[in-house]
Amino acid sequence: MGRPGYYLRENGYRIAGRVYLFLGFVFLLLPIAFLILFSFQKNVYSSLPLQGWSLQWYDKLVDDGVLFDALLNSLYVSPIAATCASVIGFLAAYALNRFVFPGRILTATILILPILIPPLILGVSLLGLLSRLGLHGELYSIIIAHTLLLTAPAMAIIQLRLAQMPPTLEEAAWDLGANELQTVWRVVLPWALPGIAGGWLLAFTFSFDEFIIAWFVSGFDQTLPVAVYNVMIASHDPSLNAIGTIVFGLLLLTLLGAELLIIPLFMRRRRV
Amino acid sequence: MVHERARAVTGDTVADLEARGIAKRFGSVIAIERVDLDVRRGEFVAIMGPSGCGKTTLLRIIAGLERADAGTLLLRGEDIGDVPVHKRSTRLIWQDYSLFPFLNVRKNIEFGLTLKRHDKKAVRSKVEAVAEQVHLDHLLSRRIGQLSGGEKQRVAIARALVTEPEILLLDEPLSSLDAHLRIKVQSELTALQRELGISFVYVTHNQSEAFAMADRVVVMNKGVVEQVGRPAEIYNRPATHFVAEFVGANNIFEGRVSDAADGTVVVDCSHGVVRIAGYGNTIERGAAVELVVQADKLRRHQDGDDGQNTIRAILRGREFTGSQVIYHLETAQGVEVKMVLQEPFTEGEGTEINAEMELCWAPEDTVILGHRDAGLP
Repeated sequence: MGRPGYYLRENGYRIAGRVYLFLGFVFLLLPIAFLILFSFQKNVYSSLPLQGWSLQWYDKLVDDGVLFDALLNSLYVSPIAATCASVIGFLAAYALNRFVFPGRILTATILILPILIPPLILGVSLLGLLSRLGLHGELYSIIIAHTLLLTAPAMAIIQLRLAQMPPTLEEAAWDLGANELQTVWRVVLPWALPGIAGGWLLAFTFSFDEFIIAWFVSGFDQTLPVAVYNVMIASHDPSLNAIGTIVFGLLLLTLLGAELLIIPLFMRRRRV
Repeated sequence: MVHERARAVTGDTVADLEARGIAKRFGSVIAIERVDLDVRRGEFVAIMGPSGCGKTTLLRIIAGLERADAGTLLLRGEDIGDVPVHKRSTRLIWQDYSLFPFLNVRKNIEFGLTLKRHDKKAVRSKVEAVAEQVHLDHLLSRRIGQLSGGEKQRVAIARALVTEPEILLLDEPLSSLDAHLRIKVQSELTALQRELGISFVYVTHNQSEAFAMADRVVVMNKGVVEQVGRPAEIYNRPATHFVAEFVGANNIFEGRVSDAADGTVVVDCSHGVVRIAGYGNTIERGAAVELVVQADKLRRHQDGDDGQNTIRAILRGREFTGSQVIYHLETAQGVEVKMVLQEPFTEGEGTEINAEMELCWAPEDTVILGHRDAGLP
């Protein structure tokens, strides 16, 4: 007020901010848009001009079966690995949060360690170990390796949530007659649930596109990133665009589903 | 003013809780040095003291959340020292209520009933009965986040009561409520306690809360009990220096006994001679004593106030607190004197700052610390 340039300058900043934001989204989303576009094109190479619409690459995907099977493998490995990591992560986080015991810091460090070791080194060493134990080259090898890797991030997220829990909450449950197990099941777990869900989602995403370790320990049954790599180095195959589109669609549906189904549940709970 | 409870302390001396020689330390910090405590059945006992006096630790030991290093704890005659917290029939109400935020009001209340095999219908009717008792019946499906402070407190009480505890322990349950609500909840709590007839052990640092609600008050300091008694007793006859300072607005004068005869003790203080009635001849001449005079027992000296103790002091300031005026004075020897008068705030003669005032009080309104009086009320 009394400063005519004020609103103008404000508006200028706002427009500049919007443009910046728009460019950021374009940068993030354009590759995906092209991937989807060319998965429905006759072009063998992803280049302009467009040569017309077609579903042939989706046909090829189903006919070949390699990438499709790999997708199913991934959808089998990742949820199991994420669940194992979340369960172990929750138990570890609870122990570290609740108890003071000798070697507490050491335990926490050892649990975090796998995420700090370069995946290449972890992959090689896991290959050596698992093959010596006769556990290599199978899908469960990947599950074991991913569980090892993903327990740390899952635990970190669950720990954040548990640290916010007032200590009197557990005491209240004991005071009302709940034993330790009932208290963990009926008080600690519900409290930690948003953290566990977040940890699980993170672990799932990590596992779903983890390549290096999966490449080392997997055999004929490959997860999707490994299969994509193998297809890519063998030949040029536009059905990669098709599988990418399918995965993107699946993730989009999952996220939308979470948005519509799960998040309102939490929102209602948190609303004051 | 101290509100004396109408209910007479009955001859029922069945002990609900007996604590003998309870001691507790955390590392090198002594939380409780040695405490004895008796709670009779149906009694409202308030444990009062400054923060860090060990009152909350004592409550947690009774609840089973802490283990005493020494001493025995009897609940209705049964030694519960080794009984784990979840098997004790004591219930604790926390300062922040510790409700389960992910459960609604009904689920919170029924928590304690659903831990073992239970009949759903019976649980339902019990929860509803308790909810009605604490006026929560219309809020049963609410989420905890939607409740006000007073409502949360009622949920915490209902959650404890539904399990039919033998004794209810309350840890400063009113401290997170605003002042006007606190008065209301105080009377609700005492009414509820009388209705239920179970013992309440109530921890607070607030003397008006303790005096208004409790049958007996336990004053604690630095891990020991300083005094136990009815509120009026604690207020009128503080037993120790600490109680005299912690409770009410008391003046403390140091002096030496110069004479004790004919039921009157004469003490030489720095400001002059003080006569004390009601202590007989039990106090030795020459003994160093501390005298306590409540600030509201002092008044301005007028003609005809013969036989009263007098003191001259210089007015340093006045404080208007609504129904009363607090005078802060200092004697020529540097002893602080407080006087509380129930009077309108006037600018009359002799109330200028640095004016000398002559005050007086009755000999029987003087308490000698550490000595029992000869049976005055």
